[in-house]
Amino acid sequence: MKKLKAILKYITFLVAGLFLITCVEEFEPETITFESALVVEATITNEMKTQEILLSRTYAFEDDGPEAETNATVQVTDDQGSRFNFVESQAGVYRSTAEFSANEGRNYTLNITTDDGRTYSTSALELPPSTGLDSIYAERIVDSNGVDGIAIYADSFDPTGTSNNYRYTYEETFRIIAPSWTPNDLVPDEDLGGCAVKVVPRETEQQTCYRTDSSTDIIQFQTNDLDEDRVSRFLIRFISNQDYIISHRYSILVRQLIQSDQSYTFYETLNQFSSIESLFSSTQPGFLNGNVSSTTDENEKVLGFFEVATVDEKRLFFNYEDFYPGEPLPPYVNPCMTSAPVLANEGGCVLVNIVRANTIRYLDDNGTPGPREGPYLVVPRVCGDCTEIGNSEVPEFWTEE
Amino acid sequence: MRKLFSLFSLLFFAAVGNAQEERITVSFTDIPLEQVISDIEEITGLQFYYVEEWLGRTTITADFNDTALDEVLDTIFKDTLINYFLSDDGSVILTRNNIIIDQLPEEYFGKSDEEITGPFEDEVNPLFVQEESAEELMAIETVRIGRQTRNNRRRNFTLSGIALNSETGKPIPELAIIVKGTNLGTTTDADGRYSIELPAGMNIIEARSLGISTNRKRVIIYNNGTLDFDLEESFTQLDEVVVSGETDRNVAAAVTGVTVLEVEKIKTIPLVLGERDILKAAVTLPGITTAGEGAQGYNVRGGRVDQNLFLLDKGVLYNPTHFFGIFSALNPFTTGDVSIYKGGIPAEYGGRLSSVFDINTKDATIEKLSGEVSIGPVTGNVMLEAPIVKGKSGLLVGGRATYSDWILRTLDEPELQNSQASFYDVIGKYNHAFNENNELKATGYYSKDAFSVTSDSLFRYSNRILTLEWDHKFNEKNTAVISLANSEYQFNIEFDGQTDTNFDLGYKINETELKLKMKYLHSEAHTFDYGVAAKYYSVEPGSIVPLDAGSIVTPVDIPPEQALEAGIFISDSFKVSDKFLIDAGLRYAFYAALGEAEQRIYEPNLPKNPGTLLEVRQFGNNEVIETYGGPEARVSARYFLADDTSIKASFNNTYQFIHLLTNNTTASPTDTWKLSDLNIKPQQGYQVSLGVYKNINGNDYEISLESYYKRSENILDYKVGAQLLLNETLETEVLQGDGRSYGIEFLLKKNAGRLNGWLGYTYSRSFIRLDSEFPEERINNGEYFPSNFDKPHDLSVVANYKFTKRFSASANFVYQTGRPVTYPIGSFNFNNSEFVFYSDRNAFRIPDFYRLDVSFNMEGNHKIKKFAHSFWNFSIYNVLGRNNPFSVFFVTENGEIKAYQSSIFAIPIPTITYNFRF
Repeated sequence: MKKLKAILKYITFLVAGLFLITCVEEFEPETITFESALVVEATITNEMKTQEILLSRTYAFEDDGPEAETNATVQVTDDQGSRFNFVESQAGVYRSTAEFSANEGRNYTLNITTDDGRTYSTSALELPPSTGLDSIYAERIVDSNGVDGIAIYADSFDPTGTSNNYRYTYEETFRIIAPSWTPNDLVPDEDLGGCAVKVVPRETEQQTCYRTDSSTDIIQFQTNDLDEDRVSRFLIRFISNQDYIISHRYSILVRQLIQSDQSYTFYETLNQFSSIESLFSSTQPGFLNGNVSSTTDENEKVLGFFEVATVDEKRLFFNYEDFYPGEPLPPYVNPCMTSAPVLANEGGCVLVNIVRANTIRYLDDNGTPGPREGPYLVVPRVCGDCTEIGNSEVPEFWTEE
Repeated sequence: MRKLFSLFSLLFFAAVGNAQEERITVSFTDIPLEQVISDIEEITGLQFYYVEEWLGRTTITADFNDTALDEVLDTIFKDTLINYFLSDDGSVILTRNNIIIDQLPEEYFGKSDEEITGPFEDEVNPLFVQEESAEELMAIETVRIGRQTRNNRRRNFTLSGIALNSETGKPIPELAIIVKGTNLGTTTDADGRYSIELPAGMNIIEARSLGISTNRKRVIIYNNGTLDFDLEESFTQLDEVVVSGETDRNVAAAVTGVTVLEVEKIKTIPLVLGERDILKAAVTLPGITTAGEGAQGYNVRGGRVDQNLFLLDKGVLYNPTHFFGIFSALNPFTTGDVSIYKGGIPAEYGGRLSSVFDINTKDATIEKLSGEVSIGPVTGNVMLEAPIVKGKSGLLVGGRATYSDWILRTLDEPELQNSQASFYDVIGKYNHAFNENNELKATGYYSKDAFSVTSDSLFRYSNRILTLEWDHKFNEKNTAVISLANSEYQFNIEFDGQTDTNFDLGYKINETELKLKMKYLHSEAHTFDYGVAAKYYSVEPGSIVPLDAGSIVTPVDIPPEQALEAGIFISDSFKVSDKFLIDAGLRYAFYAALGEAEQRIYEPNLPKNPGTLLEVRQFGNNEVIETYGGPEARVSARYFLADDTSIKASFNNTYQFIHLLTNNTTASPTDTWKLSDLNIKPQQGYQVSLGVYKNINGNDYEISLESYYKRSENILDYKVGAQLLLNETLETEVLQGDGRSYGIEFLLKKNAGRLNGWLGYTYSRSFIRLDSEFPEERINNGEYFPSNFDKPHDLSVVANYKFTKRFSASANFVYQTGRPVTYPIGSFNFNNSEFVFYSDRNAFRIPDFYRLDVSFNMEGNHKIKKFAHSFWNFSIYNVLGRNNPFSVFFVTENGEIKAYQSSIFAIPIPTITYNFRF
């Protein structure tokens, strides 16, 4: 929606220039009717694994998120008669019943039958050539905005010159250490009742956590214009040295997908819709055709894309000290201001309600409470409990040094 | 005069005689005609009867040796208007103009009360002029044109001439020349020249125009000839909106869909912000619309905004507007008239599909200094004209500027104080008449806009036109116009904000055209126009450079483009019969895209995208990259169903080699023009139109009903997600599809009376189809969908009411269907992100547009001797305060999508303007 805001800003200024006689007002667009359409997100790769296909519906602007398309029958077939059935593992997520990989030289077709009996299919797609991801590496740089940070680059080379279309996704995992963690916690004192709280030892691990995030940007690179089919020092991710995520060891898994021309174009166009609109350019809006179509009603709109891609992936780890030895850590995600809420005031209980809302953690006793202070020093929950933003379990792939 | 008519009676009863056998030998050297006659009288003993004045100062040099008398007389009277009659009794009767006929036409006495124009095709056509009522006769000057020749079998003759303002000596364009009692009529052209076919004999000719006292002449025409008008200005008619300049043109001309607008005539149309705007007036006529207030350009008959050729004194005006289309870039004081061709486009014009707006600047006075000034709330305008060589040449200069910069600075809003909003335009025209046959005209025009789109950016654009024109008359039948025109349009955006993304972005297009147009008046039935034109384009498609050292903007420079466009044309206005006129033209359009350039070659029959790129081919400087072209037919015909009713039809096809890249309907500062190249083909259009035209009660009322059907090919549109600015591989973003539009246009004009004005209604549709077997190139399932400017219903009413000679009021009402728009209709998640789900292209419409404006006009008093003539105009634009959407957009607020519309003039805007001229 940033784009729309940019437009709004643009219009507002434009009209302001026009002698303040312009006005912007809301109107009721009677004609707008929400259209529910199937959204297909399917990427079948050459990795031997349980392949995954996501089905959802479009949703109205006032809704929080998409509704999953459940109870659909999903099947991928190849041109040699192989069938790969998918079953719904959770709402809208369909996983192949067996592990399989897309093979070179084969063509794959996706067929979907939704719960209401509508059928959808794609044309047969061929697996693009496979090219390995040669290396990924992290370097400390000062970017063009003057920000000091860590850049993660990818290198790849296809001597046959047939890959050309590269798309990258990543999964980053980092360790979080809650800076204000103590072994104790505050809980409502059920024995005393009323506004009373008590200090008890924590029962779960809340000091060290791990968090994994997937890339949300569409990261693409094309080598057609280059002399050779080479990806060199292509920036996948840049992390500012002020970002807490690199404080206590960081890992990134970069996946390189070789796309067909059609897939590349689709993702590229989609990307133009999500990028922030600059003031002086505008993107032609309209319905973005994917490659899935309804076989029941050819005019039905189907969003999304079925992609067959070859994938290679690489993971790297680094510590903050590797690049910033002896330098102070980046600020934590929260400034962690301490406070000492009173137990109760004219309005009733205070601290116990905050404890029940699970938004703070115990730091220490408040030795000499000032006026309007309570007996305990507390910090925001995230400062004393990393599980608010992470998971205390160590990921399987995690290695130290 | 009475004497003359008595003489006629005498002549009709002159006895039949013959003295032709007489042979004489005599020789004259520079002898006055009168002396020659008395010499012949002496030699032959014949008696000559004549009026001395007729002979004038003609002198004769000739040798006759035993020559027959009639041959002698033929020779000596050859260069005069005199005819002779040899009677049997040895007398020679000389007459001026008339041939003496020794027989009366049969019906002569039966048709005593009207003029008789010889209905005899196969005989020598005698002419008889009879008296009308004595009063008429006394009041009107009689002019005799040409000498009657014995073997002349023609029924019609051509009268041509020039109309000049007796005070200023300037030609009067758009003067209506009407033949009373017939449906004949014409108007003078921009140079005040006219030419009309008259039936032989007596015609009462009336010349009238706004601000000119009507002049009547009795013209007795015996042969082709000239008649010039020296006309006086009349201030008494100034506030009258007379649409009679076109008089019979709507009925009589062959071309369909042509509209002529004169600045004088739109004077009483309500103004916006005090600007009299000829192009805004054009929009009140059927078939011409804009996408809304603040929209760029004009959509003519369902065509894109880039399909209109704006010519200012023959130079192309790329951006005819100021300030995102709120003002037109034409100075109303210097603009003479605008001819808009939206149906049949004459063969001399080419290069645009939908229309031609031929804008002419007034000729400068060659007699006496004069000027015009207007002071409005937003703009001021001054026009001055002065003779340079009295009677021969004059210079006209006009300048217009806004004081909005000053207004902005006085505002309290700090953000606006730093904003800039200014525009100006200047025009100068010099015309020099060397002699009757040679005239030179030169025009220079420059317009500039500079305004802040945001507080930290400055957007500037400018038009520059330089033209030179030489009009040459070889003889009565052949004339030529040679013109050289150069025009340049450029824009530039400077972004200097707090961030490190400061940049300076520029675009420029320049073209030069050399054109020769010849006219050959072959005969009564045929008039030929022919010529050649060649145009050279050079485009600097854009560059972006970092504004300062701290900027992170990567410089981009799209390489320049150049091309050549040429046309050769011929057309014949062929009068098949009195009722049937056909104007058939043929033009051959040719285009060559020239190097130096890089052109990308893609796999054929596949979507153009980087993946299908085969090679990048280099072309050397001036190497031909690709040529396009083909014949263009321009045919129109008119048939009179009755004296005041005609039916017309036209067909034309056109090529357009240059395209405007814009995916907005609202003006975007970054719309650029792109030349056709290897990957982008020229647009092609075909149009047929058919119309019925009727004048009622002279031309007090004019009614027309016109319909058209247009088909076009290779119309530019864009893929979903297309980004056009500074894109080196534009061909991968654009689509070329088929356009289809049709409509019916109704126009009712009331030209006379206290209440006058017009009502226009158009029902029209405009569609485009973008189909391909590849989803990325297919829009809306490859079916026809409404184009951005498909506005089915369009109603305009312009009405003026004159209370007295000095006070008048006018109103203007417009209603249009809202234009189509692509709405977001939901969201979807993909690749861990949320995206907006858009409707089919143009599946919805913005709210309808309507607006009512009123104005009240007051003229200063009409003393002719007063130094200045003043004019006050008080108008209210958008009286109803209708919030007509300029743009519609969507924002998410608290998780809810909201639709907003912004309007430019959402409240009534009162304006008061003071004009005076001297």
